[in-house]
Amino acid sequence: MRTKALAAGISVVALALAYWTVPVRLVAQGIGGDTAAAQAAGKVPTPHTGDGHPDLTGLWNGGGNGNVNVVIDEKGNVHIPLNSRETSPVNFERDSGIRQRADSNRPIYKRQFWSKVEYLDENGNAEDPTFSCMPAGVPRMGPPQKIIQLPNELIFLYQTKNTYRLIPINGKHPPADELEGTWNGDSVAYWEGDTMVIDSIGFNDFGWLGWPGYFHSEDLHVIERLRRVGNVLNYQATAEDTTVLMKPWLLNPRTLLLNTDPKGTLLEELPCAERSLQHMTTKERG
Amino acid sequence: MSQRFRRALMALVFISAALPVLAHHAVQAQFDFDKPIQLKGTLAKIEWVNPHSYFYFDVTDSKGEVKRWAFESTGPGGLRKAGLSRAARGGFKVGDTYSIHGFASRDGTTSGFVTAFGFPDGRLVTIWFGDPNAN
Repeated sequence: MRTKALAAGISVVALALAYWTVPVRLVAQGIGGDTAAAQAAGKVPTPHTGDGHPDLTGLWNGGGNGNVNVVIDEKGNVHIPLNSRETSPVNFERDSGIRQRADSNRPIYKRQFWSKVEYLDENGNAEDPTFSCMPAGVPRMGPPQKIIQLPNELIFLYQTKNTYRLIPINGKHPPADELEGTWNGDSVAYWEGDTMVIDSIGFNDFGWLGWPGYFHSEDLHVIERLRRVGNVLNYQATAEDTTVLMKPWLLNPRTLLLNTDPKGTLLEELPCAERSLQHMTTKERG
Repeated sequence: MSQRFRRALMALVFISAALPVLAHHAVQAQFDFDKPIQLKGTLAKIEWVNPHSYFYFDVTDSKGEVKRWAFESTGPGGLRKAGLSRAARGGFKVGDTYSIHGFASRDGTTSGFVTAFGFPDGRLVTIWFGDPNAN
């Protein structure tokens, strides 16, 4: 038993080290990835639109990750396995929490906000907006799963909460006093060489930047960069918030694979309803 | 199991669409994984919602009193992909009687976390954890 526990501990440490030492993690839909598939996908020619820019259009949930494995035996019994160390639901949640808190890439807050971050993290079950079915918003919700690139507009589709963003290319933000303050902000896009840059302002102060209590103010300014190489899409997001952060925070970059399956699609996501908070007896979360 | 059910299931399994990542609570904050329970009840309602599907059963206790139990499971995506949301495909049917295997809630309410459903036709649907490092 002690050996098993030690092995489990080593696994966690190894996982944490991998997290810290790999600068760009391959994440298809945030659930893992296949490096060989990404290398192969990056070697095909990058398609371009008539105006000479890379064409970002496509369904970017390829790589085969995130599919539910269903095992059916000859008697018709169905087994839907969920992955967790030592088949433990406790480890599933606890390891997730450790991974997110141990990530050395974190926003650096001004001293007067350290206690607020700590409070929000400790009380995340009640405080994290996504726990109560609110949106993750930009940039926390990450890259879109589908992009439609028109000459003057980008259309971003996200499976999570069936979300969309309409982003004018070479558009301009409205005057600051006309901005409403929303979860996704007001976004405009422009080309910087072969990189599509999206500039967003006009956020509310309800959204978080990340799971460990990383809140932001209404002064959040997000810059997303998307670059297509073959059938690989590299996505980066930087969060600037001069009110609460010491310096801009570059979130962990994401690498997405084009889904080339003609049957590939986005499924309608069902509504969210929070049922658990009233029954929880501890503050642990994952 | 009918061939139709099997074909429907396998077709669903291979749909190339990824699941979203959801923030969620720690299930151990709500359920006691040292307290396994097994009940038999009539399926009264299903909520196919995120982040957790909910199954409501009417369970008759030892005194003959019927109580409504709420069982939490995983998100609805995987269960729907497995065809379990459609009675015609071998999925759940409100009004049928199931055996429910799971763990009790910590707060003592008539609720729990389900690990497996025993269907009226004898099939067992298990939704439980596998160890990615086991091999």
